[in-house]
Amino acid sequence: MIRALIVDDEMHAREELRLLLEETGEVEVVGSCANALEAVKAINRQRPQVLFLDIQMPVIGGFELLSMIDEEVMPHVVFVTAYDEYALKAFEEKTLDYLLKPVTPERLKKSVEKLRSALRSGAPAAYETVRLNRIPCVSANRIKLVEPQAVEYVRSELSGVHVVTPQGSFYTELTLKVLEDRTDLLRCHRQYLVNLDQVDEILLIESGLAEIRTKSGQTLPVSRRYLKILKERLNL
Amino acid sequence: MKLIFALLQQMSVFLVIAYLFSKSPAFRPLTGETLRARHKLLLYFIFSGFSILGTYFGLPVQDAIANTRAIGAVLAGLIGGPLLGTAVGLTGGLHRFALGGFTAFSCGVSTTAEGLFGGLVHLWLMRRGQPEQVFSPKIAFAATFAAEAMQMAIILLLARPFADAVALVQVIAAPMMLANAAGAALFMSIMRDQKSMYDKFGVIFSGRALKIAERTLGILDKGFKPATAAGEVARIIHQETGVGAVAITDRDKVLAYVGLGADHHQPGTPIASELTRRAIEENRVIFADGVHEHYTCTRAADCPLGSALVVPLRLDNEVIGTIKLYEPKRKLFLNLNRTLGEGIARLLSEQLLRSRYEEQKRLLVTSELKLVQAQVNPHFLFNALNTIIAVLRKDADQARELLLHLSNFFRKNLKRSGDLATLEEELDHVNAYLGIERVRFEDRLRVEMAVEPALLPLKIPTFTLQPIVENAIKHGISGMLEPGVVRITGRIEGEKAVIEVEDNAGAYCEELKSGGLGMNIVDRRIRNLYGDRFGLAVSCRAGEWTRVAVTVPWAGGE
Repeated sequence: MIRALIVDDEMHAREELRLLLEETGEVEVVGSCANALEAVKAINRQRPQVLFLDIQMPVIGGFELLSMIDEEVMPHVVFVTAYDEYALKAFEEKTLDYLLKPVTPERLKKSVEKLRSALRSGAPAAYETVRLNRIPCVSANRIKLVEPQAVEYVRSELSGVHVVTPQGSFYTELTLKVLEDRTDLLRCHRQYLVNLDQVDEILLIESGLAEIRTKSGQTLPVSRRYLKILKERLNL
Repeated sequence: MKLIFALLQQMSVFLVIAYLFSKSPAFRPLTGETLRARHKLLLYFIFSGFSILGTYFGLPVQDAIANTRAIGAVLAGLIGGPLLGTAVGLTGGLHRFALGGFTAFSCGVSTTAEGLFGGLVHLWLMRRGQPEQVFSPKIAFAATFAAEAMQMAIILLLARPFADAVALVQVIAAPMMLANAAGAALFMSIMRDQKSMYDKFGVIFSGRALKIAERTLGILDKGFKPATAAGEVARIIHQETGVGAVAITDRDKVLAYVGLGADHHQPGTPIASELTRRAIEENRVIFADGVHEHYTCTRAADCPLGSALVVPLRLDNEVIGTIKLYEPKRKLFLNLNRTLGEGIARLLSEQLLRSRYEEQKRLLVTSELKLVQAQVNPHFLFNALNTIIAVLRKDADQARELLLHLSNFFRKNLKRSGDLATLEEELDHVNAYLGIERVRFEDRLRVEMAVEPALLPLKIPTFTLQPIVENAIKHGISGMLEPGVVRITGRIEGEKAVIEVEDNAGAYCEELKSGGLGMNIVDRRIRNLYGDRFGLAVSCRAGEWTRVAVTVPWAGGE
């Protein structure tokens, strides 16, 4: 069984696609999400093999969602849309397949076949992802979009990843790795990313460790491993 | 006593000449407000002529001449100012001097002085801001009387022997002062009447022209295309000008004919007149005055018409037809009607040009509208179908309802090519659209509707409301994670009806304000129809709300 996740903002569309997929007898739908944020969370947790992804969704569209997924858990993607042939053509090479709504069972069967052979080949799903220019965070039942430039630092804890800005700290579903790869935030510690523009000073401590003092007076640890890179970036 | 009668007698001859002068083209310059140098020169010759004639008509009295020479000089001064007055006075004076006699010198001097005096009176009136008094017979009488008194004084001063001068003045003073003053006054009165006749003539002329302009206004809004338009215009021109007959043609055939000979000049028949064909080909006015050139009807031998004016109707300098004025054989074609005819043609050409411009503007909007209508958002269509397919599995009745909404929506989209629809029909269209979107978005879309029932029969341009509501959903609500609300309200504000569509997304202000998302055409249609006081107003607060207000005239539900 292929483990699939459906992402579409319309309930009826999700429902219909789930039934169609189940009717093929080859797909197990592990979840269906109404927006990108839910999707990132589900992908990180459920590790689906394939994503049936609507392009037009509120706030964060399908394309942008892809850039929020960690490469390690990146599933194959089948775009589903009502009418976006232009956008689809542009993306054709980079996605496994695309479906037009309403989806016919025959067409869906072909997609599943394609999917099966892709999974059999074992090639990882690699999508050319764009840089993130906003980080979706959750803030009191609302989605807060934080621009990477506005971030002071990012901290990963047991409770999750927190984006710290002068306005406060926000929880995000994105992983540190995604943020490191697709923004200018720099890794300074296993659990920390820092915005170099917000660095006030770097205090060197013995045994190759250091501490970063941010402009707002926060102190961040710098581990041995990342100090070197940090120094290079700062031309020290 | 005898002398005064004699002088009055020669004055009468004078007045006859004055009357003829006032009827001649040479009088024309005097009807204007200001005199040009060329006109002053003409007046100089005319009044000098009068002055010299006055001397010739004079009666020999005691080796002198009792005369009406002063009239020319004083009037020239009054009408044309000191320079003209002095010039005429000098000319008349020199002439008198050349004739000799013991008063030759004094008369020469005094005539010049009289001209100058008339000119000074002219200046005085101008300074007092009473230029119209220049033509007052009373002023002319007083000025001439005073000028003649001055002449008597000059004769007494300059003519020698003094005793003879006294004797002469005793005889001629009273008759000359009276006769000249009366003559000048009558002369002026003739000129004034003639001048006011010209004015009245002008008033009648412009009155008629304005009336035709006013009455034809609007008839040609759609050009000559409606079959009745040309006939209507021809009828109005016929009534207002009072000419024998009026015809309007296009390049090939008679569009309308009103008046004498209507029995054989039938609208719809090809152009028969050589004059008309010439006017069209050569793009110029053709005038057969009935004297030098005759209009000859080729259709009927007993046609009563004898003269015709054919004026081309031009559109962008291209002849699109003619307008023809006819007079019967027994009647003279008035110059007034000729000028009027040419003016009317210009007027109609202007109106036709405007109508063509309006037509093009309308076509442009219509074709843009068609384009917008044809652009049924495919996203909407396929999503709607997808929703219906999904609903069909669970709830056939709801699916049925959705399909009815969809078919209703499409029928409205396809059918409504007309310009106006009632607000009720517009809301029906909106409701069909919302019926589907509500199911698609489920609890993410709430619709609130509060339209005053009195507004339902209100006529508004078709396709006004639905695109606005669609924008609110497509660009507003659909981008929201939180529940979206679309509020449609309709209220009456005095002479205006305001229909508002508001969403709580506040997501697409700039696009709307720049007239994008199809709002431009909605706005332009309303402005075209009702004027700039009406139209679309967009306001918004980013992230909070977007409001589009449609304002149209409200006439109290008629």
